[in-house]
Amino acid sequence: MGSMLGDLPSYDPHNFSLLRPSDPSNPSKMTPITYHPTHDRTLPPPNQVITSEARNILLRHIYQRAEDKLRPKRAASENLTPEHGSKHPKAMGNSDGPQF
Amino acid sequence: MSVWNYAVTAHKPTNVTHSCVGYFTGSQELNLIIAKCTRIEIHLLTPQGLQPLLDVPIYGRIATLELFRPRGEAQDLLFIATERYKFCVLQWDPEASEVITRAMGDVSDRIGRPTDNGQIGIIDPDCRLIGLHLYDGLFKVIPFDNKGQLKEAFNIRLEELQVLDIKFLYGCSRPTIVVLYQDNKDARHVKTYEVALKEKDFIEGPWSQNNLDNGADLLIPVPPPLCGVLIIGEETIVYCSASSFKAIPIKPSITRAYGRVDADGSRYLLGDYAGLLHLLVIIHEKDKVTGLKIELLGETSVSSTISYLDNAVVYVGSSYGDSQLIKLNLHPDSKGSYVEVLEKYVNLGPIVDFCVVDLERQGQGQVVTCSGAYKDGSLRIVRNGIGINEQASVELQGIKGMWSLRASSDDPFDTFLVVSFISETRILAMNLEDELEETEIDGFCSDVQTLVCHDAVHNQLVQVTSSSVRLVSSISRELRHEWHAPSGYSINVATANATQILLATGGGHLVYFEIGDGLLIETKHAQLEYDVSCLDLNPIGEDVNHSQLAVVGMWTDITVRIFSLPDLNLLTKENLGGEIIPRSVLLCSFEGVSYLLCALGDGHLLNFLLNMSTGELTDRKKVSLGTQPITLRTFSSKNTTHVFAASDRPTVIYSSNKKLLYSNVNLKEVSHMCPFNSAAFPDSLAIAREGELTIGTIDDIQKLHIRTIPLGEHARRICHQEHTRTFAICSLKYNQSNSEETEMHFIRLLDDQTFEFISTYPLDQYEYGCSIISCSFSDDPNVYYCIGTAYVMPEENEPTKGRILVFMVEDQKLQLVAEKETKGAVYSLNSFNGKLLTAINQKIQLFKWTTRDVGTTHELIPECGHHGHILALYVQTRGDFIVVGDLMKSISLLMYKNEEGAIEERARDYNANWMSAVEILDDDVYLGAENNFNLFTVRKNSEGATDEERSRLEVVGEYHLGEFVNRFRHGSLVMRLPDSDVGQIPTVIFGTVNGVIGVIASLPHDQYIFLEKLQLNLRKVIKGVGGLSHEQWRSFYNEKKTADAKSFLDGDLIESFLDLSRARMDEISKAMSVSVEELMKRVEELTRLH
Repeated sequence: MGSMLGDLPSYDPHNFSLLRPSDPSNPSKMTPITYHPTHDRTLPPPNQVITSEARNILLRHIYQRAEDKLRPKRAASENLTPEHGSKHPKAMGNSDGPQF
Repeated sequence: MSVWNYAVTAHKPTNVTHSCVGYFTGSQELNLIIAKCTRIEIHLLTPQGLQPLLDVPIYGRIATLELFRPRGEAQDLLFIATERYKFCVLQWDPEASEVITRAMGDVSDRIGRPTDNGQIGIIDPDCRLIGLHLYDGLFKVIPFDNKGQLKEAFNIRLEELQVLDIKFLYGCSRPTIVVLYQDNKDARHVKTYEVALKEKDFIEGPWSQNNLDNGADLLIPVPPPLCGVLIIGEETIVYCSASSFKAIPIKPSITRAYGRVDADGSRYLLGDYAGLLHLLVIIHEKDKVTGLKIELLGETSVSSTISYLDNAVVYVGSSYGDSQLIKLNLHPDSKGSYVEVLEKYVNLGPIVDFCVVDLERQGQGQVVTCSGAYKDGSLRIVRNGIGINEQASVELQGIKGMWSLRASSDDPFDTFLVVSFISETRILAMNLEDELEETEIDGFCSDVQTLVCHDAVHNQLVQVTSSSVRLVSSISRELRHEWHAPSGYSINVATANATQILLATGGGHLVYFEIGDGLLIETKHAQLEYDVSCLDLNPIGEDVNHSQLAVVGMWTDITVRIFSLPDLNLLTKENLGGEIIPRSVLLCSFEGVSYLLCALGDGHLLNFLLNMSTGELTDRKKVSLGTQPITLRTFSSKNTTHVFAASDRPTVIYSSNKKLLYSNVNLKEVSHMCPFNSAAFPDSLAIAREGELTIGTIDDIQKLHIRTIPLGEHARRICHQEHTRTFAICSLKYNQSNSEETEMHFIRLLDDQTFEFISTYPLDQYEYGCSIISCSFSDDPNVYYCIGTAYVMPEENEPTKGRILVFMVEDQKLQLVAEKETKGAVYSLNSFNGKLLTAINQKIQLFKWTTRDVGTTHELIPECGHHGHILALYVQTRGDFIVVGDLMKSISLLMYKNEEGAIEERARDYNANWMSAVEILDDDVYLGAENNFNLFTVRKNSEGATDEERSRLEVVGEYHLGEFVNRFRHGSLVMRLPDSDVGQIPTVIFGTVNGVIGVIASLPHDQYIFLEKLQLNLRKVIKGVGGLSHEQWRSFYNEKKTADAKSFLDGDLIESFLDLSRARMDEISKAMSVSVEELMKRVEELTRLH
């Protein structure tokens, strides 16, 4: 059994090396300072104020499908011999930008 | 009218809900971060142990806490999501020592059913996305871009509706989650999904596993090289991956928390509901898992979170008991445990019930809580202020001053206690029997009043009287030198240290002496315009025996002046303003900062920062300590110097984090105090009060004192009986014998001094104690304990049977004197018009206490009742009025009509609040707490024009407390003085699940308006961590509505004014057109409410 607890991780061997167990009936009373920020960086950069996509899942699905349906047609008008575009509509997705 | 309320925390939350370990404050600084519901605490791992760095209030209830490190970052970032659907990513800026916000946002959806099993927030181990499960059937994704910036969040539909846990798997080329869920036949399964970020959809994952343990509740993702996931059930533990499946049976238990030990994920600590700590080992050959092994390590508090720290030391956070720092030893101790508890951190949560009592009968309220749960149940005695533990006392009237003296300069202990009266001076000393007896110091003049005494260098003592200064040998006790005041002048005030004496005579003469060996050297004389009222030369510079500065308080022009020594050059003159003269001045130093304290004749105290080289005084602050003149003295406790302010409201002034704090001393009035550190009474104080001289030791210097009475069982209701000096509690004990688990319920009687069980009444099987009061009845002088119970049968939705038990305490025993069966659970009991008012399921029922047979036995006879509640859970009464808090129908007001013998409904609040506590603030205003962590007040509208108006309780106040309140009680944690300002403010104490003890104070309207303006200005200056808004946080919020807070102020925000820098205070002072001094004084007064 001892071996199961052997070789426990040590990130800094000094940590807790000087700690003496305190009297268990006398709980630790160290209280940290309470933090009250007054600086301006409690607000993130404007582009990091995150919102959720407004479009509902169902609508997103419908639009996505509609786009997927549209895409091969457009591609076809420019390129008469599409190789396998219609078979992997999802994989083409937005990365196929230049076509638009 | 108690409409204008101030809610403030007296004891912060201590329930530890989350913890994590990482490099947050620096790339080389390993931190433990703890969440206590609405606060996070940042600790640093050091050789000495955990060093607390910062306590960070969060404007939200923390639902998720995770450390993570996006690629390219030198430190970890902290992700926090709150229960009200806000999230933020925090970073520590080591240069500015500030927490800054990297990102934040709102992840709520307009529609969606909040999850039943709590919110889940997880971060992909490769930092590609944050995943949130907040609403049934939806998985929210916040993607990271390749620079570690967050992008717009989106939802993915999740087919599994009853999700128990979700985790990210390690080592997947595409982010992959594993979902533990329950199907509609209550079977549990896991399933994996890949998150396709571009398509915003799930793709079926690499594997799934059906039909797991019915109690499977927790997933532990295993890091590389093994990968896969551990599924923790109640009877089995399973390791699962695409290629491997291993399972082991375990002794039935519910795992509450886990902590990973090794970076490679081969060992885990598991904590269960009984506080047993196990080690789970994944046995593997290289990257192939070959089996699992589990071993019991020992017992801890019931854990809610486990974090392996370093070098075999582990943090165990607890919701039901004290949190702990433990060490895992290589070898078991004599009891077979590998666990050694190194430290304990007090946790009062969950406070299920409490009572306010004055055990010491000093007019000082104490709160006794039912805290903790399961085996960690306890009573906690919470007391504000600093107590004096009396060692000895003698009756002595008319003490005018006290000083302790040593028998020689190098004696570590004091021998003499000099006590001065109006026309004599007496000297007490410890004799060989360690008793104080009167003695003499020949060289002292004993037939006059002493102005000051002090030990001096060269084994000498100094005594100053109105006519002379005497220098006496402490060895021979004979006079060595004397200085006489010039004829026609008497010495009014004097002060001394080991080498210096400063005195003032009438006519404004200031005389300065230095003390030589057998010689008083009159070094300097100065003539001031007015008489001197007080002076001091306490050495706070480098030389502990000699001061460079003296301070003098003046009559007439009401100034304090700083002089340099020995030349008595005036350095600073500070006008105190007003007409009250300074009565006591003191130079002192706290935490390396020098101060001048100046006490006025009306109980106010001014403090200034003192520049030791220029004598300049800055940062003037004023507080009100009492109403009588204050005498200031320093004393030492645990090697730290504090100041004792003796007055009608004795106070200890101390410093914490370089801020001066004022703590009440739990004595009514102290006229004089001096430290008296004798061999028999080390570290003691001599205190003169109310015709008595007391020698006593002083409590630790802190505001709240908490004493723990471990019960080993869960106390659920408590009540005090003054008459018999006992407590009675309803408690339950879990018994685990073999596989059979039973619980037993008891009524226990405890001595209110020793807190020992002195009598026990076991309840029946399935019978729970629900309510308890101490009361007496009309025409019966006895005092009884009444207990309401419920039979909680496994097959019933609501109890249909209960009992009311009436006990009398005879010979320290609980004697059952009456018993009444009821048709439901007795949720509440109240003493009411000499009768017993009960709440039984949906009914309010009044019982009278009548004599049966020949007048020896009594019984409870139903008199009248009132139907019309879902469940009447909480009842408070006032006169003939009855206020009922319902399970789901908010508050209603009933009235008892004595003549008709009927109870009728007068008015109700028609909102659908699910109540957790109610209290009556005054005749017309009632306070409620409900299960969405809100407080509200309603008002009776007796002047309404129509019946409809009169029958409606008007909601007048709303506030989001962010805490689940289990109980309100009238009372105060501090000693209330009738003539002080705050003494007039009525207060209600509350206790919460997170272990918060708080105070609701009903303020006068003008004070409320003033503080509301201050709160508004503070909101602009003190920013919410993570960009969270204070205004939103305090808005009343439930599933149906959100409304701005009204008629409640956030005392925690208002009192944080005192923590601001001077510049920020000035900013607020300017915006409010009120001086900083006035603002500080008014806020400081509020802190004295708790």
